[in-house]
Amino acid sequence: MDRPLNQDKALYVCMYAREFPAQSLLRFRGELRDKACVVMDGEPPKRYVCSLNSRARKLGIVPGMTQIEIDTFPSVTALPRVKAQEATAKAALLQCAGTFSPRVEDQSNDTYFLCVMDIAGTEKLFGVARTLAENLLERVRALAIVVRITVSRNFHAAVCLARRTSAGNPVALIPAGKEAAVLAMLPLSVLDLSTELAETFSTWGIRTLGMLAALPERSLIARIGQEGKRLSQMARGNWPHLFLPIEPAFKLEEHVALDSPVELLSSLLFILSTMLEQLALRVSARAQALASVTITLFLEGNSQHLRTVRPALPSNDRQLWIKLIHLDFEAHPPQSAILALTVSAEAGIVRKTQLGLFTPPLPEPDRFDITRARIQAIVGKNNAGSATLNDSHHPDTFHLDSFSVPSDVANRAIVSLSRVPMRVLRPPEPVIITLSGNRPLKFSFLGVTYTVVRAYGPWLANSDWWSSTLWGYEQWDLIARTHNGSLIYCCLVHDLIKKCWQMTGLYD
Amino acid sequence: MTDQYIELHAASAFSFLEGASQPEELVKRVQELQMPAMALLDRNGVYGSARFHTSAKRNNIRAHIGAEIAVSGFAPRLTPPAWLPHRHVTEPARVSLLCESRAGYQNLCQLVTQLKMREKTKAEGSATSEDLQRYTGGLICLTGGDEGPLAAALVNGGEEAGREVVERLVETFGPHNVYVELQRHQEREEEWRNQAALRIADSLHLPVLATNGVRYAAAYDREILDLFTAIRHHVELDRAGRLLAINSQRYVRPASEMAALFHDVSSAIGNTIELSSRLKFELSDLGYEFPRYPVPDGETMDSFLRKRVDEGVQRRYVPKDNPDLLARAKKQVEHELALIQQLGFAGYFLIVWDIIQFCKRNNILIQGRGSAANSAVCYALEITAIDPVGMELLFERFLSESRGEWPDIDLDLPSEEKREQAIQYVYQRYGELGAAMTANVITYRGKSAAREVGKALGFDEESLGRLSSLVSNFEWRGKTDTMAHSFLNAGFDLEHPRIAKYLELSMRIQDLPRHLGQHSGGMVICQGQLNRVVPLERASMPGRTVVQWDKEDCADLGIIKVDLLGLGMMAVIEDCLELIPRHYGHPVDLAQLPDDPEVYKTLQQADTVGMFQVESRAQMASLPRNHPERFYDLVVQVAIIRPGPIVGQMMHPYMRRRQKKEAVTYPHPSLVPVLKRTLGVPLFQEQLLRIAMVVANFSGAEAEELRRAVGMRRSWERMKNLEVKLRAGMTANGLDEATQNTIVQNISSFALYGFPESHAASFARIAYFSAYFKVRYLAAFTCAILNNQPMGFYAPAVLVKDAQRHGLRVKPIDVQISDWPCTVEHESDGSLSLRMGLNYAKGLRKQSGEALVNSRKQAGLFRSAEDIALRVPSLNRKEFTLLARIGAFNKIGDIEHRRDAIWQIERAGRPEGDLLRQHRDSLQDYSEHRPLRQMNIEERMVADYVGTGLTIGKHPMHYRRPQLHQIGVLSARDLRTHKNGEFVRVAGCVIARQRPGTAKGFIFLSMEDETGIANVIITPDLYERERLQVTGSKFLLIEGALQNQDGVIHIKAARIKTLSGNSLEVRSHDFH
Repeated sequence: MDRPLNQDKALYVCMYAREFPAQSLLRFRGELRDKACVVMDGEPPKRYVCSLNSRARKLGIVPGMTQIEIDTFPSVTALPRVKAQEATAKAALLQCAGTFSPRVEDQSNDTYFLCVMDIAGTEKLFGVARTLAENLLERVRALAIVVRITVSRNFHAAVCLARRTSAGNPVALIPAGKEAAVLAMLPLSVLDLSTELAETFSTWGIRTLGMLAALPERSLIARIGQEGKRLSQMARGNWPHLFLPIEPAFKLEEHVALDSPVELLSSLLFILSTMLEQLALRVSARAQALASVTITLFLEGNSQHLRTVRPALPSNDRQLWIKLIHLDFEAHPPQSAILALTVSAEAGIVRKTQLGLFTPPLPEPDRFDITRARIQAIVGKNNAGSATLNDSHHPDTFHLDSFSVPSDVANRAIVSLSRVPMRVLRPPEPVIITLSGNRPLKFSFLGVTYTVVRAYGPWLANSDWWSSTLWGYEQWDLIARTHNGSLIYCCLVHDLIKKCWQMTGLYD
Repeated sequence: MTDQYIELHAASAFSFLEGASQPEELVKRVQELQMPAMALLDRNGVYGSARFHTSAKRNNIRAHIGAEIAVSGFAPRLTPPAWLPHRHVTEPARVSLLCESRAGYQNLCQLVTQLKMREKTKAEGSATSEDLQRYTGGLICLTGGDEGPLAAALVNGGEEAGREVVERLVETFGPHNVYVELQRHQEREEEWRNQAALRIADSLHLPVLATNGVRYAAAYDREILDLFTAIRHHVELDRAGRLLAINSQRYVRPASEMAALFHDVSSAIGNTIELSSRLKFELSDLGYEFPRYPVPDGETMDSFLRKRVDEGVQRRYVPKDNPDLLARAKKQVEHELALIQQLGFAGYFLIVWDIIQFCKRNNILIQGRGSAANSAVCYALEITAIDPVGMELLFERFLSESRGEWPDIDLDLPSEEKREQAIQYVYQRYGELGAAMTANVITYRGKSAAREVGKALGFDEESLGRLSSLVSNFEWRGKTDTMAHSFLNAGFDLEHPRIAKYLELSMRIQDLPRHLGQHSGGMVICQGQLNRVVPLERASMPGRTVVQWDKEDCADLGIIKVDLLGLGMMAVIEDCLELIPRHYGHPVDLAQLPDDPEVYKTLQQADTVGMFQVESRAQMASLPRNHPERFYDLVVQVAIIRPGPIVGQMMHPYMRRRQKKEAVTYPHPSLVPVLKRTLGVPLFQEQLLRIAMVVANFSGAEAEELRRAVGMRRSWERMKNLEVKLRAGMTANGLDEATQNTIVQNISSFALYGFPESHAASFARIAYFSAYFKVRYLAAFTCAILNNQPMGFYAPAVLVKDAQRHGLRVKPIDVQISDWPCTVEHESDGSLSLRMGLNYAKGLRKQSGEALVNSRKQAGLFRSAEDIALRVPSLNRKEFTLLARIGAFNKIGDIEHRRDAIWQIERAGRPEGDLLRQHRDSLQDYSEHRPLRQMNIEERMVADYVGTGLTIGKHPMHYRRPQLHQIGVLSARDLRTHKNGEFVRVAGCVIARQRPGTAKGFIFLSMEDETGIANVIITPDLYERERLQVTGSKFLLIEGALQNQDGVIHIKAARIKTLSGNSLEVRSHDFH
């Protein structure tokens, strides 16, 4: 770390906001503050309470309850969890903390916000610790979030005290040397114990930090191992801490506002090229490459046009990027002139290929990317790939897998049975049919009328009866004759769901 | 040309997940189509054949029997080609066999037994080619559909390979016994196989046979088959793909459809009629013979039985010193022996006698129950313990000339080991292939159906778990307890098509077989080889074999069974017989227990926790009214709290008459001797028989036929004929029409549920034993009942509290004294006390517990925590902590209290490794300081309940009494002094919840406090409102009106509240 640990001079401020998912949602919803509210997480039907306000708690609701259990309580407002809102609230709190100290450690988890600031040496700037804490509280209140702030010479003591669950003074200071005394009454739950240890202490009848601190440390270590030492010292408020300040997030983003609206793609690509160069420089400084690039075009008429390009492998090759983006814009051009653009990128690990001496050269992945992008620009992204048959009785169903090198080339012995060649019509051609009973008698195909000479079938296939995709076909193999005597050998399908007849194939 | 067609290849749901209809459904469909016969071929067995046969007989359809047998010698079963994605697994092809004669059926049974018994455990198995060659006689072989060897060979090796397979089959079964099978399910792939099969049949001059390879009765049931396929392969329907059927054509097709399908090969249709006429075998021609009992030279089974019975009569009746009784007994025995000889049942009685003798030799307590107690022969042979002559029981209820079936003897044994010993004796005596357990077909029920269908439809585990927990388990179902309601409660939207399908499928698969289990005690025994009568297979339990039919199937086909049932109370009595002489100094003889007024007094007060049959809430509620004073009152007591008498509205009239609140009347003066014992109210099946005999001059056998006709729901026609006869007899005896109506009404409402008096007497005897032991030998009885848990109605916690209230001192688990089971100890003042055994330390493994006891016995008491850790290395840390927490170490060395023990044991349970042992001194914990505080009362109680499920300390409610007293909450004892109709408040720990089928949705709670048990009635409305509290809370506060009538006390709940603040989770026994 950049500064040596010095317990004597250290001074920490801890800021703790409980029920953070609920708080972050309710800060803009004043009308709900006086009502019992819960925040539900998970996908239906697995939704459960992840956070709640104090009114809901008073009703007897506890985290983990399901939607059905919540429904049994009258007048509870259930809100879905919005992580983005939590992230912005958290960013705001951290930013606020950052204005009081450059060294901030984030110890939040999924349900609470907790950060600790190292404020040693800030006295001349912000006044004594209490003043700083009260100013901080004032600033945070403006963000409409309820927090508890504690100050201590010991990092963990500050954290433990802040996490005390009972309500009280929002700002608490632990006088130097009084850590053990202040912590003594706190419940063990502030230590985030493992289930096993929590059970052990409960069996021992140890409920508070004071009781834990009173246990002889050596005896404790003999029973629960080195963890005993840590817990014992934490309970006394003298366990040292290695401060891990957060670093500013690494964000690859560039924004350019144009002096005048641009309509030509070539002009845009010129600007893009320089922006990409900047991004590539920054990303390569971290020995990484650009994995994907998202371009947001701000257009005339207050609209946006957003495109993301992602090659098979990360690359810093500017020419490649320009080519791919060019192809993408050709396929999806913006609808009006461009006023500004933002380019953001994701970083990825650079490709490392170890080629063997006798390994046949593979095609350049970059060129493959360009070819594939060209094809996709024409046929659509989901219409290019390698076709794979589905495991279904449904005739002709398949899906497209992305291209991959097959792991093994199976030698599949196909028993040579005499098979009749068939030309499959894609898409099938509709026919007009005359039936006798259920059997085809005559049909009209591509304007020619055929009389059925022999009919084999029907071959029946239907399935997916449990789902909305149910299907059913009746197939007939027919020998039919035109009025001039020429024969046709064909396969007709009667779609039982759509109730239509189609020609699907011709036998040679 | 013909409108005649017979389906000769059908499979039912007894092909376990490869067929979708019950055999009865197939028969029903066949009857609708007016098909004269059908053949059932299930996978590797004849599981469904008994039901198929019985149902077909009832509908005048010929039931041909066969099976599809997996044979490993052929190419594996047809799967889609490798280039198509699919999830098929390799399975052996199955040869379809039909039984032409009894010899053929016997061969089939042996073949199936051979392939099943080759497996070491319960498994599907397959036959080898050698097996197939060994058992060919009397069997007709079909080449099969897509499951068969011909289809597999054609696809894998072409027509040549197909011809070779058929030639092999011809070689095995003979040219006249092989049919080339054609199936047309309108599948393109199938047809080219058919064309090849036709050419092969032609070239080998074999007949062709059309079948439809039926797997379900109606086309719609294909959905069930697809669902079962998904379940069988553990995949979701969405991902099952080609495993599923391609279409819905495998239903029972009418002859006209088959004729149209096979218009080009009409001989294939004609041959079904011809082959059907060749198949002479039916299951009624089973050839079953019960084993003959080996008797000494010069004796017949009848003469041998007569001698044993004569000896028994001397032994049983002579000591009673009643010449009249002896004479009557001799006469009755004569009558019975004559009938037994006439019906040829002597061997059966001797075999049961042999089992009894084995048990007696090995000190296993055994007693017959059920209608066997009506027989003086059974009494003389010591099969039963009730004297039917003395009690004037009716023999015809047990055995009669016209019954046309074997008598049924059920034997009660102490559960587990002793019962297993008796079962193994039967196996050993009649051989592995001469005796087997009857099967128990496990079928889909609400929960299992909802779970498996949900899985197949791709619902997530959590939703399924929630749904399962909501499917009601109570016996009584309210209108909101339907499956649809459970779906709604679980948050499923029934409007959604997939969920609607889910619900529909869950309901449609109800009662369809899932797999075969083992019946708890039914054994079938056969003369010669049982495996020629019905196939045997391995049960999941090692050393057990099971037949492919269940109890009812065996009974329908006249196969005799002996039920060896486990009865927990028998084990308790057996333990008491051992404990009483050891600790009380005198032996007890069950046959000589006196009629003890003290015992009857206890029964009259309904102080019956732990007593056999009379301990339930309903029994307790009726005991004060019935006020038993002699043994026969107890027989009535056991019989009266049953669905039959309650539904038949017999209970209340009897009770009113018993309390002299209503005059004793009889439907007719001639019935006075019959109904006198039960105060004019018919309670027992025997009385019904006697009524018919007295008022309508029925013979014993006819009366028994009447009872059975009433009991069987499907025999209304038979019942009508008998009713005509009954009325004619009554008219002849001068009974007026009103009386006749009353008697007919009595018979029809009662016979369905009535209880045999003999059975009630056998159970009442055990009930009296348990009551006697509890009253006279409380320490021994409590010790025995605690060592035989789980059993009975109450949890051990309740039994212990009850024993303590009766003055028994119960002492805690102590590693210095306790054995693995609970034991009786002698106190210095001469009284006896109970020491809890290590078996009550929840989570302590038996081997660790026994190691601890052995070490103590060999090397003396434990000196310290470290000493025990060193001497009993098998104890792990969890077990140490558990024992310390429940106070089992409190008497070791310098240990002062439970937490002190925990502190020391945490150190002793973590010995240092070898590396550090040399520096052991530096690691020693020399500190004398004991830093942990002693547990307070509540903590000790919680530790007791968590660690042992009970506390021998004060009841949890005791500690709250002052506080409860302040808010006017009464104790269970206080209730006795309050008046009927008073509004009261009670609180307690819920020990049992019941929702009986006869109580119209009412719920009965039993709540215990430190003074006793209070009974609460909850109305269906209140239950609907407070469902969560009623089913979820352990401690409740109830307010409501007190019902205090005739010493029977209830609270009719008006309000229910959870009693908060208890950190205990006490278990209740919930009965459904």
